[in-house]
Amino acid sequence: MVLACPPLLGASSMGMDAPAGTPGGPGLALIAAKALTAEIEGPGFVDRAVVLIRDGRIEAVGPAVDIALPADYAVQDLGPLWVMPGMIDLHSHVGGSRGINDMVYQTNPGLRVSATVVNDNSALQRAVASGVTTILYIPGSGTNMGGQGVLMKTAVARYENALVRNPGSLKIAQGDNPTRWGYGMGRLMMNYHLRHTIRRGLAYAAQWEAWQRGERKKPERDIQLDVFRDLKARSTQVSTHTQYYQLVMKTILMLAKEFDFDVYIDHGSFDSWLNADLAEHHGVAAILGPRSVMWPRAPRFDTDGQVQGSAWGFQREGHTRIGFNTDAPVIPQEELFLQAAMGVRYGMHNEAMQSVRGLTIVPALTAGIDGRVGSLEVGKDADVLVVTGDPGDPRNSVERVLIGGETVYDTSTDRRRW
Amino acid sequence: MLALTLALLLCVPPARALTDESTGGDVSIEVGKLLALDDQNHVFQPGMIWVEDGKISYVGAPRATPEGMRRLSYPDAWATPGLVDLHTHIHTGGWGDINDMVLAVNPGLRVAPTLRPANALMRRACVSGVTTLFGIPGSGTNISGFGVLYKTKDDAPYERTVLAEPGGMKVAQDSNPQRRSGDLGLTRAGMGWILEYTNRRALRAMEQNRFDLSLEQLKRVHKKELPVLIHTAGSDGVVNTARMWRVTFDTRSVLSHGSFDGWKAARAVAEMGMPVNHGPRTTDYPWGRNGRMNGSASEFVAAGVPNFSLNTDSGVIPQEEFFLQASMSARYGANPYEMLRALTIHPAKAFGIDDRVGSLEIGKDADIVLRSGDPLDPRASIKLVMIDGQIEYDRERDGLLF
Repeated sequence: MVLACPPLLGASSMGMDAPAGTPGGPGLALIAAKALTAEIEGPGFVDRAVVLIRDGRIEAVGPAVDIALPADYAVQDLGPLWVMPGMIDLHSHVGGSRGINDMVYQTNPGLRVSATVVNDNSALQRAVASGVTTILYIPGSGTNMGGQGVLMKTAVARYENALVRNPGSLKIAQGDNPTRWGYGMGRLMMNYHLRHTIRRGLAYAAQWEAWQRGERKKPERDIQLDVFRDLKARSTQVSTHTQYYQLVMKTILMLAKEFDFDVYIDHGSFDSWLNADLAEHHGVAAILGPRSVMWPRAPRFDTDGQVQGSAWGFQREGHTRIGFNTDAPVIPQEELFLQAAMGVRYGMHNEAMQSVRGLTIVPALTAGIDGRVGSLEVGKDADVLVVTGDPGDPRNSVERVLIGGETVYDTSTDRRRW
Repeated sequence: MLALTLALLLCVPPARALTDESTGGDVSIEVGKLLALDDQNHVFQPGMIWVEDGKISYVGAPRATPEGMRRLSYPDAWATPGLVDLHTHIHTGGWGDINDMVLAVNPGLRVAPTLRPANALMRRACVSGVTTLFGIPGSGTNISGFGVLYKTKDDAPYERTVLAEPGGMKVAQDSNPQRRSGDLGLTRAGMGWILEYTNRRALRAMEQNRFDLSLEQLKRVHKKELPVLIHTAGSDGVVNTARMWRVTFDTRSVLSHGSFDGWKAARAVAEMGMPVNHGPRTTDYPWGRNGRMNGSASEFVAAGVPNFSLNTDSGVIPQEEFFLQASMSARYGANPYEMLRALTIHPAKAFGIDDRVGSLEIGKDADIVLRSGDPLDPRASIKLVMIDGQIEYDRERDGLLF
């Protein structure tokens, strides 16, 4: 079953001198020239802002003139610097020891990458220095079902404290890479395998639901299919490697509509933006990358003589939940922000902070973890970046990172990692 | 001699521009901000450029446009010179035909026969504002041949694409050309021997006034008629390269790459007066968890290297992401304006083509790029690219191409 950890019951909660903002410590007040609050509705920013943090969570956020600073809080005036929520990458393979492709069967829904997590590893150290604070660490796309991913924070030492949710998702790969499995499958056979496993899984989940209603004896536990109980209850998502028009169409019509999974498009490359209105209609978010552009005169695709950015394609057709991924290490984990910046370059409109939201609140909502992360809103984990300006401009840098109110990276005391 | 004559012919700037009225002709361009990238670092806000016969005839604050000059107005745009990349491999349209690995050194070869004008990769370079390229052979051998300096024009014949042929020599003094079969050149010592021996053969042929087809172009390097770009990477290779091509031999040499811990030799390179053309790798991550991240561009600049420039080694980094090498170097600690110079006037000076390209100054080629914002900001888009006074890309006309 889904294990959702309460935020940060770390060592600091037990110490006498817990730093301000962390569990057990005094409150922390950050005063910034600008806060990119990044809530999904509303302006998304506050000029001359105050963020109050207590016990690892955001207690208040708003204009400095409206928020009184409690007397016992540690007050830090950040001067010209901005604050924003930590960034979230829903497609990452750098959370552990690279044991991400156990290609035993064509579908392996029982495998979990949580067994391979290496907390605070060197790739994550660099990730956090670039402002990525939460990742969905997932299996590879060697088979049609690679296994279960884990949602975790990047710069937290202990697994229990870093864990946001396990299973973070079931990783499905609908096409292409898994064709290399065995004798070499085509898309028809791969689709059959997916349906076969999903139908078995849903039948298994239905047995447990019947038992819970008292309609049958307790089913025998099958760890290969357990994840389907979470999927049927929509308490975890399907993250699916799906990148062409036909595959994305099946993501929507098969996984979302027919099987009623909470699923999102992961990759969404090439011509898959042609499904944008269908995806929007079925509430399927698009987390785009690492390939985010098609060039004119590309073989097999007609881009009308122009460059075709994936994000712009989805946006132009009315899609409203567009986020970005790196597929790290395909794109280095620390260059997540650049995926959004290039999305703008390739045509995406950014007047409503779409690029920042695509790095924060959109992936949080997509993964169902917006209660904890993704924006600077009251009650959420205090995962806060202190930055020199808009993250879409590479010349700006991340000066400091807080996760759960604790400063985990600070260029004024640490050596600058990125 | 025929080769020499042909080369000289091709070096001559194009005759009066062959333009049609809609895309060329004499034109006045008014912009919101103009970065001239000249020696005085002029910035005009707003600014104006006049283009006559494919050349720049005025740069400065807006003033009354002469009779008969077409007027273009872009009050929200920034103008810069077209970008200049000295380390590129897209002239054939792909990775093919760039390495004829016949001998350990091949100074007789030239890439000109493999250049495919207006190929798709050049088009992408153009629409991203990269207007001048040094197209060179790969690093498969210690001397892989002579490259061509050309512009990224669309739909122009070879003669009007080329700025100089040969544009200079390509040397590889590290890593890639190290032979794997146990013969001479397995190590840097062997490669150093091969290069010094070849250079001395060329000098001897010059002394003896002896014709040797395989050495004629190399002689021109030693006469300082042509520059030489040298692939070298780590600090030990960097020092060796600078010493050979600046002290042992007196050449117009430019050091290319200087990656990994190459920045540690920056001061020595600066003292020997050798320009550095840095990239595609611009960071040095030390091993271990908490090591400091080093952006090497800032280190080279701080050491006082003359005419520091950046490169893509395209297609290692896609040609259209040339500007991003500067943005990221700024992120890694370098001064952003200095990085803009590293994309424009510095490479032009390092290769001695600053009389033609690299800045917006009277008398230079009208290679002009208009963007919606700062050239180092990826969110800013290209509005217009002009080469030799011809509009090669117009966002309004052509749509979004990068």
